[in-house]
Amino acid sequence: MAKDAVDVCIVGSGAGGAPLALELGRAGFKVVVLEKGAWYRDGDFVHDEILNSRRNFFMPLPWDEPHLWRLGADQPYSRSNEAWTANCVGGGTVHMSGYFYRFKPIDFRQKTELGAPAGSNVVDWPITYQALAPYYDKAEAELGVSGNAVPHPFLEPRKGNYPLPPLVAHPIAGEIDRAAKGLGWHSIPTARGIISQPYRGRDACVYCTLCGSYGCEHGAKSGTNASLIPAAIATGNVELRPKCMATEITVDAKGLAKSVIYLDADGERQEQPARIIVSSCTAVESARLLLNSVSSRFPRGLANDNGLVGRNLLFSSFGQSRAVFDARKYDWLASPMPFVNRSVQDFYVMPDERFGFRKGGTLGFMWQHPNPIFAAVGLAGKGEKGIFGKALKDRLRAYRDSKVLEFEIYGEFLPTDGTYVGVDANVKDRFGLPVAAITVSRHPRDFAMTRFLVERGEEVLEQLGPDRVERVGVAGETTILQGGTCRFGKDPATSVLDADCRAHAVKNLYVVDGSFLPTSGGVPVTLTIAANSFRVADQLIARLKKGA
Amino acid sequence: MTGTCARLRGVTDDDDFSRRVFVQRLSFFGGGVVLLGAACKKEEAKVSPPPALTTSHRSFTNEAWLTLVAAVDRLLPRDEDAGGVDAGVPEYIDRMLTTGNLPHFERNFSGGLAALDRRAERMFQKRFHEATTEQQDELMAIFKDSPPTSGEARWYEMLLVLSLEGFLGDPSYGGNKGEVGWKLVGFNLVGRNVKGDPQAPYDGSKTLHHLHCGGGKGC
Repeated sequence: MAKDAVDVCIVGSGAGGAPLALELGRAGFKVVVLEKGAWYRDGDFVHDEILNSRRNFFMPLPWDEPHLWRLGADQPYSRSNEAWTANCVGGGTVHMSGYFYRFKPIDFRQKTELGAPAGSNVVDWPITYQALAPYYDKAEAELGVSGNAVPHPFLEPRKGNYPLPPLVAHPIAGEIDRAAKGLGWHSIPTARGIISQPYRGRDACVYCTLCGSYGCEHGAKSGTNASLIPAAIATGNVELRPKCMATEITVDAKGLAKSVIYLDADGERQEQPARIIVSSCTAVESARLLLNSVSSRFPRGLANDNGLVGRNLLFSSFGQSRAVFDARKYDWLASPMPFVNRSVQDFYVMPDERFGFRKGGTLGFMWQHPNPIFAAVGLAGKGEKGIFGKALKDRLRAYRDSKVLEFEIYGEFLPTDGTYVGVDANVKDRFGLPVAAITVSRHPRDFAMTRFLVERGEEVLEQLGPDRVERVGVAGETTILQGGTCRFGKDPATSVLDADCRAHAVKNLYVVDGSFLPTSGGVPVTLTIAANSFRVADQLIARLKKGA
Repeated sequence: MTGTCARLRGVTDDDDFSRRVFVQRLSFFGGGVVLLGAACKKEEAKVSPPPALTTSHRSFTNEAWLTLVAAVDRLLPRDEDAGGVDAGVPEYIDRMLTTGNLPHFERNFSGGLAALDRRAERMFQKRFHEATTEQQDELMAIFKDSPPTSGEARWYEMLLVLSLEGFLGDPSYGGNKGEVGWKLVGFNLVGRNVKGDPQAPYDGSKTLHHLHCGGGKGC
């Protein structure tokens, strides 16, 4: 039997779902949030690398709930947990590092400003930076962001500084500042979704060092689990149901979304009807939910009249190098402070085609995460290059005596016809649902761009006088940062969602995770997803108040 | 989000589902992860059902246990610092294979140990744990250097990954006894839970088991 109808049912409680739930609750609307994963509390966030990073505390196991993954349509699929973010209340914002950058105005007008590279599907956004800017302000305030906006060539327009002062940085930040300046570039403080001072009843960060890849038992990391969700529950209008796996969105005779079918914590099938239905379970999983919601009105999947659901999937272009220092080499290395918090954005947009690309991205500097198992597996190597025995222990001792500074690239990931997600009816997850099948075929400009940025980052590292600089790679993608699959736009023929993130084909269906993004930007997308959800909330509340 | 959920060409394996890779390497947000994945090649002969166990291990026959202890001792031998056997790595592997969290490993791990013994018999007319350390190292290297898709290479990687988990993971799983692994790599844990009592009892394998069974009644 169906549950009592509510105003809005939201699938997912991460960066997209939570802002909408909070704003709707504040406006007095009855909201049910269905979250696939568990509702972890502070006591559950233990610093246990095996649990957090190597099993299914956050990510499902590939034999329970695989994603199929292949590099090119001519390749066979592999079964992996690639492109899951996190299954828990708060989603990926729970274990994030919280690098909270804004997109730049040019990200909204890339086609107009720079043109669409041949073989790409670059388009302008249906909204401008100016339309989103107030919601960036709001997201930064509601979530709690620490930072310091300093002038540099690609500083986005903003009304004021961050709500919280920057976190205390390791002395190496000053060395990076000097190195970048010497090269004629700008080392800028990285804003973090971590609170540097007590804020809205939350405790400040205690600099515990185990941050990214772990949940924060202190509530200082600004995941929606620590910020927006408690505030939403406090409105009295929002009910959050953990361990509830949405399997289908149903439609009525008129083709409007009617209810969400889900399996509850006991595996029982439930139905939650609602006036408005919102999907926010990541770009990959929202596409999967729509594609698995087949009806006579939508035989190719919900809101998929034009066949674009799942197309133009985006990740973030990834590259990385590291500088290895003997820990005793410089006095300033001795500080235990965990945050480097420096970025370089001088190559966000290139003035011409000289290096084979125009739209670049961001270099983010950080200490290597103190995850000893992960480090040791890397140090042991593989195959004929692999080592064991005394040689391995010697390498582990060298690791003990070193400090490793890394940078990673958050680069433009051009949308193409070759990168998309579908569902595979032949492979089912533990719920019996067809799984997401992901095909990735990268635009060659992405690799030219990433290589260029990695080389610039290595110039900075070399200036710091390390014992050596090691290149990790120049051609990858960060699959936890995802977008596309339901891009928004003005034209129903070329987009899935309208400018308010409402489906063109289903007037009471919204998607508010990263799916709306037509282009990836050159920064992590988390803050932008949250800001956009606050923007959508305003539009939706106005519409609901009009009784539409 | 470092280090991260990123795939790197030429660094990360492009695992092929049809080839039934059982160790999937993934890098993960925040320093990353090798998540243990999918299925082992079943080219190894099945071992006979274990006899009644006479020692504390639960996942292995006594014969397989001796092989495992000897293999761990070659991967992480004791020198001026403690080794894998000192750290309780075999106990960690034994316990990990009973959490229900790694079904493919449970099915395939013992097969690899039996293959190692068979190779020792063939080459040195001895069981692995009876061979000299030089002979054992030679055997381990053969498994390590086998073609990447072979059962030998995959089993070796499974052993290596589980051993490093047992050496450097939370001691509550049965390995890293006395935090000897952490001492070796200079890892100073700031407490399992900054707000909680650092001495509070914690059992990672129980938590894993609850993740596997859902934590509900009868779990």
